[in-house]
Amino acid sequence: MRDSRIVDLEQLARKNGLDFFPVVFEVVSENTMNNVCAYGLPTRARHWSYGRSYDHQRIYGEMGFSKVFEMITNNDPSYAFVLDSNTEAQNLLIVAHCFGHSDFFKNNITFQGSDRNMARHAAEHANRIDEYIEQYGLDAVERLMDIGFSLDSHIDVHKGLYRKKYPRRHIEERRVKANEFDDLDPAKARRPSMIREVVNATMPPHPERDLLWFFIQYAPLEDWERDILDIVREESFYFYPQRLTKIMNEGWAVYWHAELLHQYKNITPEEMIDFARTHERVVQPGNPFDINPYYLGYRIYKDIEKRWDRMYAEGESSITGRQKIFEVRRDEDDVSFLRNYLTADLVQELKLFTFGRENEEPDQDEDEEVLYEIKSRMREEVVEALVKPRYNNWAPKIVITDASSEKICLRHESEELGTLNFRYAEHMLEYVWELWAAPVELRTKDDNGREVVLLFDEAGFSQRTLEEEFDLDDDGDEEKDEGPFKKTP
Amino acid sequence: MNDSYKDIWELRQPGRRDSERHKVRIRKAIKENLRELIAEENIISSDGKRKVKVPVRYLDMWRFKFGPNSKSKDVGHGEGDPGDIIAKEGKGKGNKAGDQPGEELYDEEVELAEIVDMMLEDLGLPWLKRKENQVEIETEEMVFHDIAEKGLPPNVDLKRTLIENLKRNSIAGKPSFGKIVPDDLRYRVWENVVEKHSNASVILIMDRSGSMTDDKKYIVKSFFFWMVSFLRMKYGNVEVVFIAHDTEAREVGEENFFAISDGGGTRISSGLELAKTIIETRFPTNIWNNYVFSFSDGENWDTDNERCIAMFRELLGMCQAVGYGEVSYTDQFYSWSSWRGHWSTLHDAIKEADDLVGEPRFLQAAIVKREDLYDCLRQFLDVDGKEKP
Repeated sequence: MRDSRIVDLEQLARKNGLDFFPVVFEVVSENTMNNVCAYGLPTRARHWSYGRSYDHQRIYGEMGFSKVFEMITNNDPSYAFVLDSNTEAQNLLIVAHCFGHSDFFKNNITFQGSDRNMARHAAEHANRIDEYIEQYGLDAVERLMDIGFSLDSHIDVHKGLYRKKYPRRHIEERRVKANEFDDLDPAKARRPSMIREVVNATMPPHPERDLLWFFIQYAPLEDWERDILDIVREESFYFYPQRLTKIMNEGWAVYWHAELLHQYKNITPEEMIDFARTHERVVQPGNPFDINPYYLGYRIYKDIEKRWDRMYAEGESSITGRQKIFEVRRDEDDVSFLRNYLTADLVQELKLFTFGRENEEPDQDEDEEVLYEIKSRMREEVVEALVKPRYNNWAPKIVITDASSEKICLRHESEELGTLNFRYAEHMLEYVWELWAAPVELRTKDDNGREVVLLFDEAGFSQRTLEEEFDLDDDGDEEKDEGPFKKTP
Repeated sequence: MNDSYKDIWELRQPGRRDSERHKVRIRKAIKENLRELIAEENIISSDGKRKVKVPVRYLDMWRFKFGPNSKSKDVGHGEGDPGDIIAKEGKGKGNKAGDQPGEELYDEEVELAEIVDMMLEDLGLPWLKRKENQVEIETEEMVFHDIAEKGLPPNVDLKRTLIENLKRNSIAGKPSFGKIVPDDLRYRVWENVVEKHSNASVILIMDRSGSMTDDKKYIVKSFFFWMVSFLRMKYGNVEVVFIAHDTEAREVGEENFFAISDGGGTRISSGLELAKTIIETRFPTNIWNNYVFSFSDGENWDTDNERCIAMFRELLGMCQAVGYGEVSYTDQFYSWSSWRGHWSTLHDAIKEADDLVGEPRFLQAAIVKREDLYDCLRQFLDVDGKEKP
């Protein structure tokens, strides 16, 4: 693709109000593209799981579907990788598309704390990991990365990447402010003017949801082990906004490649057809049991623009549709975007529905055929089903409530969103047990709404329901002793 | 657009390295989970394929995640009214369908031979004796055992080549590594080493009567699947015979053996008798090492038990080992204690036959749960673990 056309498109994009980082376009082979995509960042530290993604990418590529045309990193400058086999028109689309992404990275609120030099920092991480592998062996480093990745959804973006440790347990003396007439009342006059208060007697002082941070700070780990978890955590903070704005971000990029190419005059009719065909492929609704984020995001922006233009024309809005979507791309994430702008009309127009098991009973015969039925076409239901998995960084909310050298207690807080997968939880507790080097307890609810405590200690995994625990205290029957405890060695 | 760095990007291929590592991890996970993996449906049902699919849940990326939730909703699009059935598990839902609801499942392809290898690494047919060989069983192995100055590039022996290089440079007065010339190159040379073994026939007998539920049959099929895979891999020329029986026994082909179900009552002795006839006519004991493995749920006609004991005795006279495996496995529920009380009448009869109980070449195994399969295989095939008769 001629550089002059990139310059054209860039000028056009800026004229339309897009405000993006410089974009460096790298033309690469399909093989390199598969590599870049598997890692998310081309310079990232090694881990076997990227090998798995790489294989899948490669195999899908060879089978002829889901070819990746482009990939761009949130960085200043933004690096965009473009496939060498793309046609000229595809490249025009991609260049415009990437300006959209880069503008989104730069301006969307969720990206504001994001590391714009991650391409380099990830490379530094990779070097450090390589050194640790050299020194402590691949198995040990990998084990810790496995644990780190398994916890990487559990960060607290509001508290931020860099946080101070909690102050140690200490006693604070505070002056009690006396009322100016207190000395008239003998009882009040005798009250001491200073009170003593124990601060941070328990650890953590508040339920802690940045599990990685807590373990990095307080778990009995070696420095290099902390550093590995730190690297995982840093990269998780970096990727968090992208996970939270997939629909918005892709929709925005699609909106802009369509818009810019529509305005671009220096394009042949053949290229225009090729472009239209590629665009059509990007925004097709796709698999009926899934939602194509490119398509959904694009349609919502178009809808917002249309509605605000109408309101503007009727004097009901002080800003135009175009101004409105710029505002939206700045202020929202996917959750609020869907809640605020996926309207009942649009749900109907896009023929969206929720679906689920016909038989909703919790205990079902595994061999039975499972039937799925359409549940609802109500706007609220659809939005809820779309939004629900996105809470808490796409994970159940788990907090640390109490941690000492004898024991660490976790609690599952997003119970209204569903029950935990206990088989997975068992493995997770083992990981935590390994980090904390003491028994681990997790409180949650089972499918029948009963409080359950999952435990992992030297003896392995066990679980008990709380009601049964009370029963046990009542009659202390020896035989029953083993009843509620299901030990799996 | 910048394609001047294209080649430099091409140099960085971390994906391939990590993909190799991923494969190593899969092997490791398989080894750790053999006990469960061995009864995996999609492996057993991959008859005849060189590569099998192993469910990746053995190498999962663990996370805290929501469980199989029967009430969860997803969003889709298209025509239809609430209440319309739009998909069945495993058909419309694509990747989302798994045997455990709510779990993302996909498979990794692994060579079958590799799994068999891991599983039965140190095992062989017990008490293989040298007979007057007519047909010999051969196993082949490739061994690099020599070094030559001419050879194929992939077989270059780096160490020897460097030594030659060092030698040559030293003679020239520069005791260091330097430019490698063709004269320095040394190649490894291999030879096919053929090991000769004795002949072996293996007769597999399976009860396919009505009392053998699908679950039970499945276990037996799994056992035979691994047994046959193992034998085919380890020995090039093993003869395997399949016998299926209810009250009557007949010899069947391998495909038939695993595919078809019969019905009716059970007479285990019918299978044993046919085995005896086959051995007499086709595998004379002076030439062949014979093995008979019979599987049943033990729900035999009581009147037949005596006949079975007699047949076991007779077969022991013609075979290196005779195995009897009993499957009391059910998927619904089991508990070790409740099961122990329900040994079959045939088993009780065997217990009373002192000579059988005391005979190390008579192998007995019980499979209560799927995971027992692994121990059972090892028990039947473990050479070193047994006293040699």
